[in-house]
Amino acid sequence: MTSNVHILGGYQTDFGRNWTKEGKHIAAMIREATLAGLAAAQVDPKDVDSGHVGNFAAELYSMQGHLGAFLLEADPALSGLPTGRHEAACASGSIALLAASAEIEAGRYDCVLVVGVEQMKTVSPGVGGDYLGTAAWYELEAKGVEFPFPKLFGRLGDEYERRYGLKDEHLARISAVNYENAKRNPKAQTRTWYMSEDHACVASKYNAKIGGRIKVTDCSQVTDGAVALVLASDKFAAEHAKRLGVPSGSFPQIQGWGHHTAPLSFDDKVQESKDSKYVLPHTRQAILDAFKRAGIADCWKLDAIETHDCFTTSEYMAIDHFGLTKPGESFKAVEEGVIDFGGKLPINPSGGLIGAGHPVGATGVRQMLDLSLQVTGKAGGYQVEGAKRAAMLNIGGSGTTSVVFVVGV
Amino acid sequence: MSQAINKVVVLGANGAMGAGSGEVFAAAGIPTTFLARTIEKARQGEARAVGMAKAEALAKFIEVGSYSEHLEAEVAQADLIFEAVSEDLELKREYFERIDAVRKPDSIVATVSSGLSIAAMTKGLSESFAKHFLGIHFFNPPNVIVGCELIPHAGTDPAVTAFVDELLATRLGRVVVRTSDTPAFCGNRVGFKVLNEVAQLAEEHGVEFMDTLIGCHTGRAMPPLLTVDFVGWDVHKAIVDNLAEKTKDEAHAAFVLPAYMQKLITAGHLGRKTPDKGGFFRKDEETRLVLDPATGQYRPLAQLQPPEFALRMKALIRNGRYAAAMDVFAEAEGAEADLMRRVILGYIGYGLNRVGEVVKEARDVDRIMGFGFNWAPPSVLVDSIGAARTVKLLERAKIAVPPVVKQAADAKSRLFSERAVDSGRFFYA
Repeated sequence: MTSNVHILGGYQTDFGRNWTKEGKHIAAMIREATLAGLAAAQVDPKDVDSGHVGNFAAELYSMQGHLGAFLLEADPALSGLPTGRHEAACASGSIALLAASAEIEAGRYDCVLVVGVEQMKTVSPGVGGDYLGTAAWYELEAKGVEFPFPKLFGRLGDEYERRYGLKDEHLARISAVNYENAKRNPKAQTRTWYMSEDHACVASKYNAKIGGRIKVTDCSQVTDGAVALVLASDKFAAEHAKRLGVPSGSFPQIQGWGHHTAPLSFDDKVQESKDSKYVLPHTRQAILDAFKRAGIADCWKLDAIETHDCFTTSEYMAIDHFGLTKPGESFKAVEEGVIDFGGKLPINPSGGLIGAGHPVGATGVRQMLDLSLQVTGKAGGYQVEGAKRAAMLNIGGSGTTSVVFVVGV
Repeated sequence: MSQAINKVVVLGANGAMGAGSGEVFAAAGIPTTFLARTIEKARQGEARAVGMAKAEALAKFIEVGSYSEHLEAEVAQADLIFEAVSEDLELKREYFERIDAVRKPDSIVATVSSGLSIAAMTKGLSESFAKHFLGIHFFNPPNVIVGCELIPHAGTDPAVTAFVDELLATRLGRVVVRTSDTPAFCGNRVGFKVLNEVAQLAEEHGVEFMDTLIGCHTGRAMPPLLTVDFVGWDVHKAIVDNLAEKTKDEAHAAFVLPAYMQKLITAGHLGRKTPDKGGFFRKDEETRLVLDPATGQYRPLAQLQPPEFALRMKALIRNGRYAAAMDVFAEAEGAEADLMRRVILGYIGYGLNRVGEVVKEARDVDRIMGFGFNWAPPSVLVDSIGAARTVKLLERAKIAVPPVVKQAADAKSRLFSERAVDSGRFFYA
């Protein structure tokens, strides 16, 4: 019999930190997150059976590979721990989560540590933009292109415009909602930044266009961050609940998952989806798979969503792909306030990648930590009232790798 | 109090603190009037605020005016009047009298003063003014540094203090520390004790050496003397002179401005704001120069190799081993290590001994040093060293052991209490 996957707890570093300015190596990020994550989950390091690190490009940003081994630096009791590192661009964190949960489902291990980490402020924005280009088909889509990703996600907006029509004011509203939400999140990178819908609406000196229709306010952030999460089997979770003196079944569980890969180049994606109602049908299918595994009919069985808003266009896409509206009608959910913090189905109460920040390899793990906080009423100032079930969508590349999880209690 | 803040007026809105504070109000969506001597100067302040917000849309919340033409009319409509003119009591009083004559009876008046007595400012003004008057001490630049001090004087209506505390914390996203109306309040008193002590020690040990010894590895983003250059020597002098005159505690000697600094200030050396003359450091074309306090002359900056124990601390901090770095701090041997400990333990002791006098609890000192100065809060250092070991080190250095440290040592508990804060962020390699 396969085990359920329980989330015992975790920790997110303050995404406003600049670890390069602090003079720190990526080892410090992994160590801080691991120690604080184990402490938050109240798990003894000696009880951890296996460890996974999600990271996109430490070889480029920090000239450092083999990140799994850095988990051992947190505590001598972790010596000998089986570890590995996972990469799928901005979905790296979710791939680490999938590997960890598969180990638990298979009965291989009972207590598994997952750390997502990215240190991005080691290089200038231009160089960082080039590194991020390796998440696309570098030679075809990114080589020699300044800031390739805003351009690719600008084209996602263009594709919506071509098929269904798209107004930039709706994208501006998505940006403003994410920034507004981030102000409630004490770990959000932009929590002290100024933002308004007026500002997001207009291209200007301080809100320049950087790739097609994408302006600065449409973009997620360059972020340093690490997030640790402890996952456990039924057996370990039951024992742990006993140790802590809490009722068994107290911990949130991964109720469903979906995982699809689309062709790497954006042209091929669009070509493949030309007859589909959905611009990114593989993303849609990952969502449907997760709903099916969680035993839920549609998005209205969710209390909140953490989605991948690397750009406002990707959140715009997520709205209809999750089924909040019919395909091509995401603007309705934006206009009606459905996605607002107090709306019918809030999206990114944390502030998302735009407001909370986007340390690439950590994002998927951060999303799952936020889901687990939301469904247990522990999200503090950004708690969605009464949330019991929530979902996340984490995307790598220009809609290439899509991972969806449903988490609930 | 049930009033709302729907209009703010900032006086001195062209200066760094005025424009920055105005930005904070406007960014919260509160209509804010920037006043200065001339409308052009007020416009310059507005442009500074827009630049800080990096958003032209901020201007929607800003109006501009001059003292001569607009002060009375604007103040009469304001819910909060925020004074940020020069640190000159007579000048401030001139404006307060004009404000007192026209303000709405329930409007709040605040000063951003970083050193003057809040109570003294209300002398001769109406009772209503005094009841609604307090200090809101932002740190520069206010749009980036969220730590701030809230200073009621004895006559401030407690409901006003509570209302402003809530406004700052909730609507303006500030980390608020309430302090008593004592000289330089909490942050500057504790911070400038360290800065001036290091400046004093530089006379004997040299500028580069002191900035290397009390460098980032001791829990700060910027070394102390470089910080003084950024603050400005004139501001530094005003703060420590005020403290030397008005405080009589264990740190009194540390507030005496070194004679070499006084001499150079007279000659116009004010740090970064006088780039041609410099401060502790100066840049001539491409050469970085450093001051020799003994001669008042500048010579090329030598790349100083930090002491071996400092290098070990940096290497440990770089990889996230903060407690191990503080083991080195506690156990390193020799005169240089003793000097480093004297300054840092002096900071811990002086800071936490202000509990009860300037602030209520250790957490207040920690919050203002962490979020106002961007220095490792004393409690973070105590926790990393270990409370019991800190007590021993303090005793050995003949520094009064703060009761809160003794209590933490006895209870074997941790002192730093900010759950949502990564304490690792305060360690710099």
